[in-house]
Amino acid sequence: MSFSIDHLLQGFATALSLQNLLWALIGCFIGTLVGVLPGIGPASGIAILLPLTTVLPPTSAIIMMAAIYYGAMYGGSTTAIVVNIPGEASSVPTAIDGYEMAKQGKAGPALAICAISSFVAGTLGLVGLTFFAPLLADVAVVFGPPEYFALMFMALTLIISLSGRALLKGVISMALGLTTALIGQDPLTGAARLTFGFPKLLAGIDFISVIVGLFAISEVMVNVEQRITAISQKITHWMPSWADIKQCTGAMLRSTGVGFFLGLLPGVTPSVTTFVAYDLEKRISKTPERFGKGAIEGVAAPEGANNATSTAGFVPLFSFGIPTAPSMAVLLGGLMMYGLQPGPMLFKENPEFVWAVIASMYIGNVMLIVLNLPLVGMWARICVIPFYILGPLIIFFSVLGTYSIRFLAYDVWVMLLFGGVGYFMRKFGFPIAPMVLATVIAQMMETSLGQSMLMSQGSPLILFTRPIAAVFMGLAFLSIGRGIWLQVRYKPPEVALEETD
Amino acid sequence: MKTIRPADIAVGCFLAVLGLLILYAASKIRVGVERALSPRAFPSAVGFLILVSGIGLAVKSWRFRGEDPKIHWPDREGLRVTLISLILLALYIVLMKPLGLPLSTFLYVTCSIWFLKPSKWGTAIVAGLFFGIISYYVFIHLLKLSFPVGFLFEG
Repeated sequence: MSFSIDHLLQGFATALSLQNLLWALIGCFIGTLVGVLPGIGPASGIAILLPLTTVLPPTSAIIMMAAIYYGAMYGGSTTAIVVNIPGEASSVPTAIDGYEMAKQGKAGPALAICAISSFVAGTLGLVGLTFFAPLLADVAVVFGPPEYFALMFMALTLIISLSGRALLKGVISMALGLTTALIGQDPLTGAARLTFGFPKLLAGIDFISVIVGLFAISEVMVNVEQRITAISQKITHWMPSWADIKQCTGAMLRSTGVGFFLGLLPGVTPSVTTFVAYDLEKRISKTPERFGKGAIEGVAAPEGANNATSTAGFVPLFSFGIPTAPSMAVLLGGLMMYGLQPGPMLFKENPEFVWAVIASMYIGNVMLIVLNLPLVGMWARICVIPFYILGPLIIFFSVLGTYSIRFLAYDVWVMLLFGGVGYFMRKFGFPIAPMVLATVIAQMMETSLGQSMLMSQGSPLILFTRPIAAVFMGLAFLSIGRGIWLQVRYKPPEVALEETD
Repeated sequence: MKTIRPADIAVGCFLAVLGLLILYAASKIRVGVERALSPRAFPSAVGFLILVSGIGLAVKSWRFRGEDPKIHWPDREGLRVTLISLILLALYIVLMKPLGLPLSTFLYVTCSIWFLKPSKWGTAIVAGLFFGIISYYVFIHLLKLSFPVGFLFEG
């Protein structure tokens, strides 16, 4: 794949045709709705609409589907901020500070900074996609199973370190998340594991049920028991101030870098990069104690990483035909439905198509911010709805969201169970984020570790002898070392007893 | 358990038992053909980690001598409201299949709002009807998602 200004300009000419502009706008709108509504993530949203796009020319259809994809990536953060329902794992870090801001009457600034950060990261990510794709695609190829395992391991250690001085509780939370993900069937042999003789557990535990239970259900339980009248009594701020935006500029740029470069790697989804970006911001902040209590950078960083990763995912998709996420796999299906075979030949044989889609993404990003900033006030008002109405509605949407994963009541029961787990974790001061991340990446970790062991004929040294893997492992061990040092530095018992979430 | 310390001791002991159970369950996983990474390896490692960290938490809390933070448990009324809300949610899940999503949603939303604010029974009925209808038209009729429709809409 090579960059050519002529191709890009030609792409803009195609994308700016009235018909393609219209489909991009419809895609952005539907995508935002898909993100906000529970139960239909980007993958199912695109899959549902795929057959309907057959009436469109291929370029218009893919422009629309790509718009649905990045629209949904933005929309998913709305429920995370306003009612603490992160519909996707990638929205979990956004919920941590976003929901706190909403409780303080600042849902408007949180939502607006989401839109701005998504726009900045999406646009910068597109610049990367446009100009550096060939080089970046080559870097992605050198990533093998050991590098993936090391990266996931580093992400886990980073997120545990977010637990501050309650490191042991962070480790326990992570271990419980790994256990949850291992329940069901072995991905390679299909053998039952950790089912304890219950046939229903063979279906495994979907991480969406875990996330919704831990966050939304436990939050409703806490609010109900405290007889909260509304999430926020009044909306104190509608839009972020210039000072807020200035404060978030660094976070937006850094999270774009983190999200984009990690997002180039197949298998590294926004659910990982958003946590890494959040952790990075907390680490370099001069006031890390504000994180988890409504820090606006804590909203800007994961949102930026989310969009940058989504954009970066198009590099391996277009260059090698490798989907980096389920929604990308559906997009790949869409490309193939139109007889387009992603890979190096796609750029040679169909440059007008590829560059039109890339150009449309620039336009789509502008459309998203224009579409969503005026809607901030509408979404923010949800926080002042009396809780006796909002509480049952949060439950209703949570049930819809989890039931629609596999259309099994079992998933809803799992959500309820994890609602109880989340409730007690809050009461006993256990951090929730490590459990969520571990649940999401456990299977990927196990698979890449298995493949690494196969490559090295059983020697774990492979994780330390390959340079990129060694760097990630080194950073992971540094993070662990820092945690242990904190345990030693402060009085040990206080460490274990500190409330963190 | 009014404070964190005894809670941590109890949770630590519970986790130690859970860790042992996971180690036992991992030892029962069928191995089949030999692989570089045994299917028992990851579950065993996780079970061991839970066992060790559970013991660690219990011991650390046992030895702790300092100001012990309080746990904010609900009062009697808060507990009653939370339990009944959970029962309503459980009934919603149980009734979703026989009654269908629209009717069970209507019943759940109406009953929950009415229970949380008895004076707002009118709002409860209107909200229940609204979300019952939305659940049918948006999720079943328009998006054609496979939610149970119940006897009212069957055929």
